[in-house]
Amino acid sequence: MTLQQQIRGNRLRSGIVVFGFVLLLVVLAGLVGLALDVSLGVVALVVALLYAVFGIVRSRSLISGITHAQPVGPDELRPLRRLVENVSIGAGLPVTPELRIVDDDAPNAFAAGLRPTSSYVGVTTGLLRTMPKRELEAIIAHEISHIRNRDTYLMTMATIFAGVIALIADIGFRSLAYGGRSRKGGAIVVVLAVVGFLLAPYAALLLRMSLSRRREYLADAGAAEILSDPEAMALALNRLELDTTSVRYADASTAHLWVESPTDRVDSERRGVTALSGLFNTHPSIRTRIAALEEAGGFRLPERLPSHKPFAVELGLG
Amino acid sequence: MLWLWILLGAVALLVVLGVVGYNRLVRLRNEADTGWANIDVQLQRRGDLIPNLVEAVKGYAAHERGVFEEVTKARAALQQAQTPGAAGEANDILSAALGRLFAVAEAYPDLKASENFLRLQEDLTDTEDKISAARRYYNSTVMHYLTAIQSIPWVLVAKPLGFRAKEFFSAEGDTAVPQISLAPAP
Repeated sequence: MTLQQQIRGNRLRSGIVVFGFVLLLVVLAGLVGLALDVSLGVVALVVALLYAVFGIVRSRSLISGITHAQPVGPDELRPLRRLVENVSIGAGLPVTPELRIVDDDAPNAFAAGLRPTSSYVGVTTGLLRTMPKRELEAIIAHEISHIRNRDTYLMTMATIFAGVIALIADIGFRSLAYGGRSRKGGAIVVVLAVVGFLLAPYAALLLRMSLSRRREYLADAGAAEILSDPEAMALALNRLELDTTSVRYADASTAHLWVESPTDRVDSERRGVTALSGLFNTHPSIRTRIAALEEAGGFRLPERLPSHKPFAVELGLG
Repeated sequence: MLWLWILLGAVALLVVLGVVGYNRLVRLRNEADTGWANIDVQLQRRGDLIPNLVEAVKGYAAHERGVFEEVTKARAALQQAQTPGAAGEANDILSAALGRLFAVAEAYPDLKASENFLRLQEDLTDTEDKISAARRYYNSTVMHYLTAIQSIPWVLVAKPLGFRAKEFFSAEGDTAVPQISLAPAP
């Protein structure tokens, strides 16, 4: 498969997943309407809407708080700032995303923001100390393609969707269990509704995770395309895998933002990745990601990594 | 009656497909135009840096007139270039001329150490990196656009509709520093 085909295929699958979310929401609303009072269904939808609005407003400020990302002054870290500018020109973004630094020894990076014009890229100091320029560029290109593909937007929405579905399912379930008189419809409808309300949150979680994993492949392919250098992305991923530090301020709620999963990697390695645990990871394994790049780019990573000088040296950081 | 409906449906489908396809071509053409504008901004910026650079070197090496003229001429040619192809060529010539200018500068340690010169050199390198990033983006948008207007059915109607082929911005010629023998500084 070429990079272009991968990008197209991933877009299609993401579309299907989003469609799945909408379908799930419609089915839930239908169940509430059938099995219970119509007015209760309306109340549930209004509450869900308010929740969604609150979630969107909140997401803007919260992410940088959770990740402890600091803005950089206009004259600091000029070579790094230029790197980000160059990559975003290569990606054809109208505006260069703001640069933020996370003071953390684990090499990792993330992108955030609802629109491409108000987005930012965060990198850890550990990343600067680990990566040579070529690979750092690839990591930044990965984050910038998340922004270009509107992944940051999509994942925020997916998180909110999952929350809304869980909320409606919860309200529906409780009403069925305790509100005996408002119950309508026959026994079959009620049984269907119970099963639906119980399973919906898990279905939403699964959808969200698979959406996030698709997006990682897409962003890897995008980074390779932006730089015309698939090998750089593979090398960078390989270097990330060799490192075992975890991000200090990692949190399940922001795990999907990072280039490498900040939380679940160590756990899943300890458990041994089974098919089932794989379903709930936010990121595909780094090995699979490198394999996808190797197939698309038609190369094999060398056994021995090229020696390197970390970009932090060029920045004058220790 | 049924046939009429089927016919109407087929026509409606064709219209919808036509509109969607046409809009896609417009989008691709606009993306390529934006891509070119991005390159143009950086070429402009590169051109603006050059007079300052020439002045800075002149302050130390006034007698190297040939190199200054060459750089100035190459810059003028770049600013007059009309098409992406021509601009790419002019840009390569300018890069070669700048290479010679920097080779000349090598012979003047005072110049090489001056703050102004270092800053200009850094800015130029940065602009060159940005040109090559913008070139990658532009060339990929042109490729998508060309693929679209050269595929059936659009290849039949693209020209009458005003979708003309676009040129790539030269893919070759990243600033190769030419070999020049230099007499040691007096």
